Amino acid sequence: MRSSTSYNLWLIAPAALMVGLFFLYPLFFSLYSAITTDEGGLTLAHLEKAFELYSNDILFTIIIVLASVVLLAILSISIAALITLSPFRSIVSLLGFIYRIPLFIPFIVTAQMMRTFLAKNGLMNNAFIASGMLTPLETVSFLGWSGIIIVFVWKQLAFCTLLITGAMAALDESQIRAARNLGASRLRILFQIMLPQITPTIGVAMILSTVTIMSVLSVPLMIGTGTPTMIATDMAFRINSYGDYHVANALGLVSYLICAGLAWFYLRQSLKDKGAI
Amino acid sequence: MTHLLIENLHASYGDKVILNNINLAVAQGEMIALLGPSGCGKTTLLNALCGFMPIQSGCISIGDRKISTLAAEKRNITMVFQSYALWPHMTVSQNIGYGLKVQKVERAEIETRVNELLSIVNLEGLQDEKVTALSGGQRQRVALARALAIRPDVLVLDEPLSNLDAKVRLNVRHEIKALQKKLGFTSLIVTHDQEEALVMADRIAVLNQGQIEQLGTPEEIYHQPKTAFVADFMGANNKLTFSSLASLQQQISLSSLTQSKMQPSFSNKSTPYQVFFRSEDVGLTTLSQDHPKLHNETDAIRILGDVQQSAFLGGSYQISVRCGKHTIQADHHENLLEGTPVTLCVPAGALHIF
Repeated sequence: MRSSTSYNLWLIAPAALMVGLFFLYPLFFSLYSAITTDEGGLTLAHLEKAFELYSNDILFTIIIVLASVVLLAILSISIAALITLSPFRSIVSLLGFIYRIPLFIPFIVTAQMMRTFLAKNGLMNNAFIASGMLTPLETVSFLGWSGIIIVFVWKQLAFCTLLITGAMAALDESQIRAARNLGASRLRILFQIMLPQITPTIGVAMILSTVTIMSVLSVPLMIGTGTPTMIATDMAFRINSYGDYHVANALGLVSYLICAGLAWFYLRQSLKDKGAI
Repeated sequence: MTHLLIENLHASYGDKVILNNINLAVAQGEMIALLGPSGCGKTTLLNALCGFMPIQSGCISIGDRKISTLAAEKRNITMVFQSYALWPHMTVSQNIGYGLKVQKVERAEIETRVNELLSIVNLEGLQDEKVTALSGGQRQRVALARALAIRPDVLVLDEPLSNLDAKVRLNVRHEIKALQKKLGFTSLIVTHDQEEALVMADRIAVLNQGQIEQLGTPEEIYHQPKTAFVADFMGANNKLTFSSLASLQQQISLSSLTQSKMQPSFSNKSTPYQVFFRSEDVGLTTLSQDHPKLHNETDAIRILGDVQQSAFLGGSYQISVRCGKHTIQADHHENLLEGTPVTLCVPAGALHIF
């Protein structure tokens, strides 16, 4: 028994070592750096400085994340529901193909593409002007907070829809049929039969999207107007311009706490649904 | 009086025809079993009836109401599924009362109706349980109660007992039958188990390759199969094939043929003759034994053969006997050793000739 246990430990050792060295050590080191001085003493000065300089950006980041996640949830659930429940199969299979395209486009390409699309003299406004719907004076630039949200939603929509459509498709088809022949409409089936059963998947999709949104640098840099901006940009700025790893790590800690907060809310909700609390 | 009428129904998946000219009239309060092998179209017929798949042509009506083009949610036909299809995030009473909630029935009335149904299906006290905490038999009863709650015009059951173990299956099938008699609902049940169909149905429709091969009472289907397929499917597990009338008459006398269950077109047949009979109708004697059937049924088939295999069935043994190029199954009260020479005889009345 004892030899079998030690044999198993040796088996997982390389993988555990890799995780420890390349993931846990950098993570804990950055957290440690956020709350210590160069001499190693504990301090809250870096966090205070981070809030003093970047509280607007932190708030901006939270608003961008929440708005993006809410829009993502609404749109990805709607598309997944259309794909799963619509009786028009040929249109649905086309939609099923199109929605996946953003999965294969990198963030930086998306940001560049959207920059030329959303600008005041960009492709979108030009199309409106050409169609006579707007005059050149009436056009508005979407570069800024709204553009950042649009890019994040556009890019993450495919990922979330893929997860949610998979979860909906995994439900027993006869559960949906049972509801239909009891008289339930498709909308009712979506809200009363399907969504309650796939809440965990929706939660996972939203949390993973939050983590991605928090970590993308190219979008706020290329689509944003500079001030306010997202935490990731501030972190890059502290490191590249000042070599200030402590404040950068303090901002990293804030990012981590925002993600952890969402994860806590999700876990609490799912435990509540299961009747555990 | 006809309640459900299916006329000239055709349905297909792409180029593959699944239902080919189905005609069926079901009386009010009648239970019809759709019986057939896998892929014969019986579940497709239920799906077409419920509105889960489009039909190519034909008409389905309930009373005066034509429902062929109505959406599934507007047909008032409910289904009991093989997989139960209960919603795991709801309790027993929420599952049963869902259809009534959709119909915007008052909450108090829903509660009364759910309690009434719980009592009918013997699930009192379980209303607040999650359905995932129930056994297979209990889940199927919840599914049945849920389907009955909205008082459907027709109840369809798609192999409702297949997921249950043998003992529970026997109980549940009697419960469903008793409930059907008590409440008088019109229903169609799909099964591939002939015994289940014989026990539960008022009439049986045997399906083969998308067509109704024969429709009749259980006794008619069992004793007077109209086609070789029906005879074979209903358990006439012995088949002798003869290439001509002369070779058939060498084996079976003319007087026997006239007493057997021949089809009217028999004398004009050009294809090989197929003779079906059940193992339970075969009399078997060893050379050292004497069997009353051998003397009483002078016009029976009499074939000599050797025991090939013997299998214990519980109440009797099923003996496989090699007779020339044929192997015949016979039920016998005792075990016989391989190679034992035996005589088989079959009464003329037990023969189905096609």
